[in-house]
Amino acid sequence: MNTEQLIGALSRDLKPVRRYAVGRRLALGVVAGALVSAALILLTLGSRPDLWLAMQGSTFWVKWGYTLSLTVAAIFATARLARPDPGNLRPLWWAVVPVLLLATIGVVELMRTPSTNWLGMWLGHSWHVCPWLVLLLAVPIFIGLLWSFRRLAPTRLRAAGAAAGLLAGASAATVYCLHCPEVSAIFVLTWYSLGILLAVLGGALLGPRLMRWR
Amino acid sequence: MPADEQQLRAWMIGALDGDAADYASLLRTLAPLLRAFYGRRVVSGGDDIEDMVQETLIAVHTRRATYDRNRAFTAWLFAIARYKMIDHFRRSRREVPLDELEGTLIAEDSTTDSQAQRDVDELLKTLPPKQAGAIRATRLEGMSVAEAAAAGGIGESDVKVSVHRGLKALAARIRGTAR
Repeated sequence: MNTEQLIGALSRDLKPVRRYAVGRRLALGVVAGALVSAALILLTLGSRPDLWLAMQGSTFWVKWGYTLSLTVAAIFATARLARPDPGNLRPLWWAVVPVLLLATIGVVELMRTPSTNWLGMWLGHSWHVCPWLVLLLAVPIFIGLLWSFRRLAPTRLRAAGAAAGLLAGASAATVYCLHCPEVSAIFVLTWYSLGILLAVLGGALLGPRLMRWR
Repeated sequence: MPADEQQLRAWMIGALDGDAADYASLLRTLAPLLRAFYGRRVVSGGDDIEDMVQETLIAVHTRRATYDRNRAFTAWLFAIARYKMIDHFRRSRREVPLDELEGTLIAEDSTTDSQAQRDVDELLKTLPPKQAGAIRATRLEGMSVAEAAAAGGIGESDVKVSVHRGLKALAARIRGTAR
């Protein structure tokens, strides 16, 4: 086919594109994946028995505030890197703000607690499974994002993979809050963040392979 | 036709809203733009360039949702063009193993060489023997004028004049056949 014929064929195939199409598509991938993750955790380990009660307290919202704000930051990062010209990536440093806020809360909590209890606060009851469960729950969401990316056009594949990993990890952590009864900020800061970080690493590793497009 | 950012962007936004005429104008303007872009960067030329132009136009089509209406169109376009160029060469390299490619290149090189050799022989045959000999000695075998003169048993100025006349005659003949 010569180029002129190709141009004719392409312009006959034109359909309008809605505004914010990239954001919509990413959101769809995340929500679909997160529903699968939520079903997984609720059907196997169940929600925390006091979920309703906890949602009326502040610690639950500290956790959700942390994971949700990371999710929002990750959506922006991913939407940028899903375009061929990501442009200036410096605004993405805003993602450290939730981490710093949570660290501040953690320090305040530690100061209010006798130092003999610090280790217990830090390790909780589930430190050895928490990062792995977050990583596991990130898998369906990452798969959902791979679906989103099939129509997108990243050119910095490793960075795009890492951003998608962050998005999958942060939203997986949001889902995991439905089950996890831990309360201390330093627990979340350490073990949730570790699980999210593993998802980022996994995304960076897989991005160049799975996000290449033609 | 020089196309400016503003015009391209207006067409692109029209295309995103579903205007097929805008879209056709856009793609028609992009084709020569991309041809020039690849022409400046790719030495292998011809088919490779046209392949990449078409691949990029298809990518512009299938990935058009990733264009942000508030940002520069050309930056978006050339980011895709660069990605496509890297992708194109990565794939063509994968399809031909490197060792084999080297073999092919050497073989191609030697055939063009021997072909050129035959052409030169053919052309020199059309000249008087003295001029052909002088050109062969000084231009192909790398002798100096003095060496060629000694080898041919003629004067140095005779060699120079022969070379000069011979090359002039060849040039005229080549121009004639090219026409």
